[in-house]
Amino acid sequence: MPRSNAWLRRALVFGTTFALVLAACGGSTTPSPTTTVTQGPGDTPAPTEEVDHSGGTIYMLTAAEEFDDIDPQRAYTGEDLAFFGATIMRSLTSFIYDPDAGVANTLQGDLATDTGTASPDATSWSFTLRDGLTWEDGSELTCEDVKYGVSRTFANDVIVNGPTYAVQYLDIPSNPITDENDPKSGFLSAYYGPYDGTGQADFDKAVSCDGKTITFKLNQPVADFNYTVTLGFSPVPDPTGHPDLEDTVEQYTLRPWSNGPYKIDEYTQGNGGHLILVRNDAWDPASDPIRKAYPDVWQVDFGIDAKVMDQRLIASEGDDAFAIQYGSIQPENLSTIFTDPETPNADFAGRATSDFDPFARYYWIDTNKVSNEKHRQAMAVALDRDAIRANLGGDYAGALGDGVIKPNLGDQYAETGMWTDLFGQAVPDTGDPEFAKQLIADSGEPMPALTWDYPQTAVRDQEAAILVASFGLAGITVTPNPIPPGQYYGIVFDDEAAHEFGWAGWGPDWPNASTVIGPLFTDKGGWNLSRVHDEDFVQGVQDALAELNHAAQAKMWQDLNKLAMERVYVIPTTFGLSQTFGGTKVQPLYQWAPYGSWPYAEMYVTP
Amino acid sequence: MVGRSLRQIVWARLRRDRIAMICLIILILYYLIGIVGPVVGPALGLDPYAFDRKAISNTGGQPVLPNGGISADHPFGVEWGTGRDILSQLLWGLRISLVVATTATLLTVTVGVVIGIVAGYLGGWVDLVIGRFMDLVLAFPFILIVLALSNVLTDRITDLGVPKGNPSRIVYLIVVISAFGWPYLARIVRGQVISLREREFVEAAVAMGSSRRRILFTEILPNLWAPIIVYTTLLLPAYVGFEAALSFLGVGVIPPDTTFGAMLANSVNYFTKVPVYLFIPGSILAILVVAFNLLGDALRDALDPRVTR
Repeated sequence: MPRSNAWLRRALVFGTTFALVLAACGGSTTPSPTTTVTQGPGDTPAPTEEVDHSGGTIYMLTAAEEFDDIDPQRAYTGEDLAFFGATIMRSLTSFIYDPDAGVANTLQGDLATDTGTASPDATSWSFTLRDGLTWEDGSELTCEDVKYGVSRTFANDVIVNGPTYAVQYLDIPSNPITDENDPKSGFLSAYYGPYDGTGQADFDKAVSCDGKTITFKLNQPVADFNYTVTLGFSPVPDPTGHPDLEDTVEQYTLRPWSNGPYKIDEYTQGNGGHLILVRNDAWDPASDPIRKAYPDVWQVDFGIDAKVMDQRLIASEGDDAFAIQYGSIQPENLSTIFTDPETPNADFAGRATSDFDPFARYYWIDTNKVSNEKHRQAMAVALDRDAIRANLGGDYAGALGDGVIKPNLGDQYAETGMWTDLFGQAVPDTGDPEFAKQLIADSGEPMPALTWDYPQTAVRDQEAAILVASFGLAGITVTPNPIPPGQYYGIVFDDEAAHEFGWAGWGPDWPNASTVIGPLFTDKGGWNLSRVHDEDFVQGVQDALAELNHAAQAKMWQDLNKLAMERVYVIPTTFGLSQTFGGTKVQPLYQWAPYGSWPYAEMYVTP
Repeated sequence: MVGRSLRQIVWARLRRDRIAMICLIILILYYLIGIVGPVVGPALGLDPYAFDRKAISNTGGQPVLPNGGISADHPFGVEWGTGRDILSQLLWGLRISLVVATTATLLTVTVGVVIGIVAGYLGGWVDLVIGRFMDLVLAFPFILIVLALSNVLTDRITDLGVPKGNPSRIVYLIVVISAFGWPYLARIVRGQVISLREREFVEAAVAMGSSRRRILFTEILPNLWAPIIVYTTLLLPAYVGFEAALSFLGVGVIPPDTTFGAMLANSVNYFTKVPVYLFIPGSILAILVVAFNLLGDALRDALDPRVTR
C-alpha cells in the first residue's frame, strides 16, 4: 500500500501529543490584526501595558532527534505544520489564532487575500496572492512558485511522506502505466512531477496562473478545498525564476527557503542538536496580518529526555524560563503540576494546559481476520474501558470514546449510542463479560484466538495486561504483541505481519470528518487498518464527500460513524486529553485548536 | 579412623561459617517461594493479573493509599495505573527470573567447562581455533545484538515448537545470555587444565592407556570443581541482574507476565512519586544477589583452605 506512507505522519505515532485549550490558560485574548508590536489594554497576559514584546529567544525542548520534514510538501505532523507555518512556511490559507477552538478553527487568507473563490459546483477554486510577498533572498514570491510547490507533490519518488491531497483532488488523469514491473507505475498520477516532467501539460491545465491569481481545477466537487490548501500546497521557489536556489529535491527538507518572518540559521540533527531560526529581514509585516513575530530567535533543542524536560520546565531556571515543551507532560508529574485535570495548581497557573488533543484512540479490528460481526461486538463489549482509561491517567486521559469522530469536531459529532443501545443493551464502562459470552454463542462460531499489536511503551504494556484480563473474563484468549514504536505502522499495514487487532489513534487533517471516516475505513483514504471493504459503506463515504451542503454532509458523517461502530470496525477507547506546559517567561501559553499546538505566531517572552 | 571425602570436609567447613548458612537458607527460601508461590498463591487470594480499579485514583491512576497503596489487601502495594498486586507480581516474577538465571547458568557452565577442558587439554590448533572463537564472541557488541535479534530469533524459537509468546521469549533470553557468557568460564577452565595436564596422575593415566575422554572427564574434571562451583555462585546472581537489565531494555517477557527487571524498569517512571516501587523489588533482588555472592565467597574459602581472611 504505497499511499499509506503519506498518512503516517498524521497518525498518532507515539501516543504523546499536544493538548488543546479551553480553560486555564491565562485568559489571553488575541490582539487585533492591526496590533503589531504593542499590546493594548485589555490584553491580560501583558505584565504592564504598552510593552513592546519584541526580542528575546524562545526555546523549544523536544525528545525527538530531528524534525520529520521541514519541506512544504512533506511536513505532515500537526505540531510541525503549526510551528513551521507560523515561522517560515506560509500557506494560501491558514487558521485564526485564538484560545477559543470555535474561533481558531475558522479559516482566513494568508498568502492569499481571502479564503478563496469556488465555482458554483465547487470543482474549481481560485486564490489571489497578496502584494509584497517575498522569499528570504528578497526576490518576489509569485503565483508560479505556488504552482511549482504543488507540482512537487506529484514527484512521489523523491517527495515522500507528505499529504497527497493534490494528487487526490486535482483534475489530472491517473497514471496510464499499471504494470507493476515498470518503475514508472509507482507514480500516483499521469503527471510525474517537475523533476521527471512527464505529463506537465496535464498539470498546467489543472493548475493555472493568471497574474497573481492561481486556479485549481478539481476532478470532483470539494466543498472544503480551501481547507485542503493548508496541507502541502505551500510555495517552493520555481528554479526558473530563482536561479540561486540549488536544490529543491530531497535535500530541500534540510534547508527550505523561508517566506515567513524567520529563516533557518542552523540545523544540526541528532541528540544535542539544534534548529535555530533567526529573523528574515526580507519579510514584509505589511504582507502578513497573521504573524506577530515577537522573539528574535527560536531555538529547538533536540534529544532531551522526556523526564529531564519535565524537571527543567518545573524548575524553569535560566533559559528554561523561556522554554516550551514540544511533547506532553509525563503522567507521574501531572499531580505536581495540576490540582485537577482542569486546573493547574498555583505555581503553574497560566503556564500549563489540559484539553482535548485532536486524536481519537481506538483499537482497529481486521475485519478479514475477525470476519464475524458478533465476534467483533463481543470484543467491544468485553473490554474494560474504565480500567484502560484509568491506566492512561483517568480523568487526565480524557473521556471514554463512542466513535472515531471527537466532540471537538463540532457539528460533525453526534453520540453513536455504542454503549447504550447499539448492541441491543447498555454496556457498562467496565465491560460485560456475560453479554460478550452470549454474543459469541449467538455468532454460531468459536471465537478465534486473538493477538493484539501495539507500539511498546510501559503504559501500553499495562494496557495489554488489562486487555488480557478483561477479555479473559469473557473467555477470549489474547496474546499481546509489543512492537518497537518506530516500526509499528510499517508492520500493521502489512497484511501478513499484522494480527487480528491493534492499537491506533487518529486526528483529522482539518476540522471536517471527511478527514476521519474516509481515511480510516476506505482503501482510497489510506489508513484502512480495519481492512473495511463493505460496498455500502464505501459508497456512503463517496456520497458524503460529494455533498456540498455542510449540514447535510455532517449528518452523513455522523451516520457513517454510527454504522462503523455498530459493525465494530474499531473499538473506541478514549477521546484523548493531553497536558503540556512551558516556562515562566513565555506567553501566551494556550493550546491552539487547529493543530493542537502552541500559538506560535503570537508568542513572546516576558522580562 | 575414617577418612573424609572432599565433600565432607567442605560441608563441615561451611557449617561452621554462620554467614554462609544464613545465605544458604535464604537461597533455599527464594527457590521454594519461586516454585511453590505461584502454586499456592491463588489459594491465598493472590493474582498477578487481576486489576483492582478501586485501589487507584481516577485522576492520574496513582495508588489511592500512600506508599504505593500498601494495605492489608496489598502488603507490598499496587501497580500505578492498573492496581495490580505487587506481592503477586513479585511471586510470579521471581519464578521467571530464577528459571532464566538458573537455566542460563547451567547451560553456561556446561558449555564453558566442556570447551575449556577440550581447548586446554588438546592444545595446539584446537586451542588456537577455540581461543580465537572465544575472542570473537567476547568482542561482539552483546547488548546491541541481543536487542537486534530479539524478534527474529524469538520467532525462530516459536517455529521450533516452543509455545508462542513468553515461553519463546524466555528460551531466547536463556539462549542469548548463555551464548555470550560461556567464554569467560571456558578461559578459566582452560588455564587450569593446562597446568593440570602436565601433572603426574595425568601422565600416569596416559601411560596406562586411558581413553582421552576418560582422562578429560574422570581425571581432570574433578580437580576443577572448586573454581567451577565458585564461578557458578557468582554467575547466577549476575544473570539474575542481567535478566533484569534485558527486561529493562524491553527484550524480556511481555505482559501480562512480569519479572524483576520489568518491575524495576517500570518503577523508574514513578520513582519520585512512589519510591516504594523501586525499593521493594530492588531490595528483594539485592538480597538474592548478596546471598549468592557471600555463599560463593564462603564456598571458595571452604574449598581452598590456603586462602584465609
